[in-house]
Amino acid sequence: MIKITNLEKFYRTEEVETIALNKLSIEVKTGEFVAIMGPSGCGKSTLLNILGMLDDPDEGSYVFNGIEVAHFTERKRADLRKHNIGFVFQSFNLIDELTVFENVELPLIYTGVPSSERVKRVEEVLDKMQIMHRRNHYPQQLSGGQQQRVAIARAVVNKPKLILADEPTGNLDSSNGNDVMELLTDLNEQGTTIIMVTHSEHDARYSHRIIRLLDGQTVMENIMI
Amino acid sequence: MLRNYVIITFRNIRRNLSYAFLNVFGLTLGIASCLVIFLIVRNELNYDDYSKADRIYRVTLNAIDFNSNVALAVAPAMRNDFPELEQVSQVMYSHEVMIKVNNNHFRENDFAFTDEHFPAIFNLRWISGDPKTALKEPNSIVITESIAKKYYGDKNPMGEIINLENEINVKVTGVIQDLPGNRSLPLKMFVSIETIKNQLKNQMSNFWNIGGGYFTFILLPQHYSIQRIQHKIPAFLHKNWNLDPKEVRLPLQPLKDIHFDQRYINNIVTPTSKDTYYALFGVALLIIITACINFINLATAQAIKRAKEVGVRKVLGAHRSQLVKQFMGETTVLILIALVLGVGIAATFLSQAGTWLNVKIDASELAQPLVIGVIAALTILVILLAGLYPAFVQSAYRPIDSLKNQTGTPSKGFTLRKGLVVAQFAISQILIVGTLVVAHQMDFFENQDLGFNKDAIISFYVPNNAKKDVLEHALSNNPDVKQIAFSSGAPSYNNNFAGFSAPDHGVIKDDVTEMKFVDENYINMFGLKMLAGQKVNKANPKDTVQNIVANETLIHKLSIMDPEKAVGQRIVLNGRPANIIGVVQDFQSESKHKKRRACVLMYYADAFFMANVKLQPRAMSNTIDDINKTWTALFPDNLFEYQFLDEHIASFYTQEQKVYTAFKLFSSIAILIGCLGLYGLISFAAAQRTREVGIRKVLGAPLISIVGLFSKEFILLISIAFFIAAPIGYYAMHNWLQNYAYHINIGVGTFLIAIAASFIIAAITISYQTIKAALVNPVNSLRNE
Repeated sequence: MIKITNLEKFYRTEEVETIALNKLSIEVKTGEFVAIMGPSGCGKSTLLNILGMLDDPDEGSYVFNGIEVAHFTERKRADLRKHNIGFVFQSFNLIDELTVFENVELPLIYTGVPSSERVKRVEEVLDKMQIMHRRNHYPQQLSGGQQQRVAIARAVVNKPKLILADEPTGNLDSSNGNDVMELLTDLNEQGTTIIMVTHSEHDARYSHRIIRLLDGQTVMENIMI
Repeated sequence: MLRNYVIITFRNIRRNLSYAFLNVFGLTLGIASCLVIFLIVRNELNYDDYSKADRIYRVTLNAIDFNSNVALAVAPAMRNDFPELEQVSQVMYSHEVMIKVNNNHFRENDFAFTDEHFPAIFNLRWISGDPKTALKEPNSIVITESIAKKYYGDKNPMGEIINLENEINVKVTGVIQDLPGNRSLPLKMFVSIETIKNQLKNQMSNFWNIGGGYFTFILLPQHYSIQRIQHKIPAFLHKNWNLDPKEVRLPLQPLKDIHFDQRYINNIVTPTSKDTYYALFGVALLIIITACINFINLATAQAIKRAKEVGVRKVLGAHRSQLVKQFMGETTVLILIALVLGVGIAATFLSQAGTWLNVKIDASELAQPLVIGVIAALTILVILLAGLYPAFVQSAYRPIDSLKNQTGTPSKGFTLRKGLVVAQFAISQILIVGTLVVAHQMDFFENQDLGFNKDAIISFYVPNNAKKDVLEHALSNNPDVKQIAFSSGAPSYNNNFAGFSAPDHGVIKDDVTEMKFVDENYINMFGLKMLAGQKVNKANPKDTVQNIVANETLIHKLSIMDPEKAVGQRIVLNGRPANIIGVVQDFQSESKHKKRRACVLMYYADAFFMANVKLQPRAMSNTIDDINKTWTALFPDNLFEYQFLDEHIASFYTQEQKVYTAFKLFSSIAILIGCLGLYGLISFAAAQRTREVGIRKVLGAPLISIVGLFSKEFILLISIAFFIAAPIGYYAMHNWLQNYAYHINIGVGTFLIAIAASFIIAAITISYQTIKAALVNPVNSLRNE
């Protein structure tokens, strides 16, 4: 599904050039659950942003589902992204002014799903995430665990092929964290590819494979059994 | 999608209520002000908007000066010599008339004698009566609806008898709808000129027998060039009165120019300058720009708060164009709210604003198609001005930045927001300078450099000259009457002009001088300053030579610079020799729009139809009541009316007073709107810099230094604004002052006040938020981060 080759990304300020990704090559197959680990500043988030087409690489190739996307325009990336990728963030990133239902509905609006169909699909996914009873609440009225469920609901409502999760349990206690990991595992078992950045060895154990980064390069890959 | 936008708009308004309030309130005021200004300006620019206005011309006189009046002799001669003219009409306009209806006395203004051609030129709207005949017969009067209501209530006024000036009885032959407020001749009563034909007999042929308010109007046929008539005027003057066309001209003035042509300024009509209304339009524009700047500043400041939302929406697949639409939609909702409120406020306060500004506008005008069009255009303009830039700024955030909260890094450079704040300060400084200059000039008009004393003096009419001495005796017994002087008018009333020459001093051709007939107390009471010779003495009726006191301008015309040397000189006044016995310093006998003219003061008891009385400052209204009793006892058939001299002087400047009131009102609104924006901006700045303030406080910064931190920037911005505003303000107001022959010079003080006012206004606006920010416990502010 994903194949990146010799990917490079630099950050430049007036005086310093920092290499975030250094000729990185990774392949992820459809249906895999991959965890990316490494110390702060190793390039995890940069990699995730590029994989999520929120950012473009300076050098190298990124093939997504057989299409070279490394130098797509923002508009093309947005179109590809909204149909194929769901995001889960550490800080949930729900829109405070929208209710649970409306937050989950948002990706469907941007992909042009008709209204009646939207209601059906949002209710379905809220039900699955066991958050239906909170559908008319605002994010700030929910616990962290509930907020992350909403965020996951929003990530999957469009039935994406890939979910990118950036420390999804970082802001949660261990019990809520485990629930979230179970949810992701379930999704993976139903066929969704998952790439997750994490600091937590515990969470990483839910994955099939751990890629460890240091200074923008792969230093080790562990296959989980 | 639309539903989603609307939902989020209203939730955002609810969440950021104070922000929405600042925006909507500022914009509401801005829109209301713009509408009121638009209606006022439209009202003024549409002066004399009669249906045939483009074919109507006033026949004016240009001999030594421009005069809007011509002799009654002109109209019949034109009718005779220019058969191609569709209509020629003459009007004898009178500012005031005394009316008696069923033994009730009224004093009415805007009265005229005119002929049956008048209704054919000006499309009066008839309620009853026949336009063709109503003013044909002698002793006919046509009145307006409101006069009819005032005198007769619901009764049909047709055929009723009205008495004028205790002399003439006239019969109501027509009733017309009231004329709109924006008419140069806002007439309320028309009496057929035939009524007084006998009295006018000797005026009907003399070209130089010109009275104040003698107007002649012509109506051109359709598609006929006025030039064809104008070209024939010299021959016409020569043929009828043997006049030299090099010395006498009859400019045919388009009706719609009357309200604006300041060459024709006089005691009855004060034309206004179109520039004034363009300036007012400018103020409206500045107000709306200020309100839009608020919008832009508050929206872009708030954008940081909403960066996360933008990021999330982009991650979920929103295109930038969709986000631009969303933000434009939100702006539109706020602006529409402001629009509804603004139109409501304009409708509510229009009549009040009209009273302040002395214009008559009805709120129903807001429903006219043109006005609705303007409102729509204004709305679109505001949406684009206020919405477009913030929408692009807000939608521009890169999702990864906005999600990492890396959007709020304050840039060191001179950002657009700062530029806009500078623009707002500059606008308010220009308006402050404008208001101050107008205020100074108003004070100068009414109080300074008049050359005479105007305080606590009233003037009133003496209907019967024979009772003058009795009146004087009675008034002088009143301890609250300080001084009395009889005359043809107070210094600021100029009614009489005469030709003069001085062959000994090189003035061979007739020049014009004003003549004031005054008694021996006049110069003392008004405090006119004698420069040489004697004051006006009681004349001996046997004197063949007229003794006159001349003003400086007159002796300068004789090429005499030293007043002492003028004493004893002779001139020819009205064809008779006159002896200069004294010289008086120039005084302001008309408005300061015009250069002072030559003037002579002389004793002539027959023309003492005005009494001028200086009152003790205490209990003036009681004294006036007493005078009223004395006067009414002497003249029981008349109505006592008086005018304070300072009010009469102020009446020269009604147009300027309008401008002044408008400037005060709308400048205050513009400044208030600017303050709202500034307040909003400083709130955001304070919120954004909470962490910085916290760190500084932990490191030991005192309150004053924190307040200084916020103030420093504004001091710089105000100073930059000043360097923009000062030259613009100076240039604009300097130009405005050139409308007047006598005007103030704009001093440094004006600019110092403007910048000081900016500092004070800014300080008051930002003090609350900055002090609040500085007082926050740093533990809280740092924990929040």
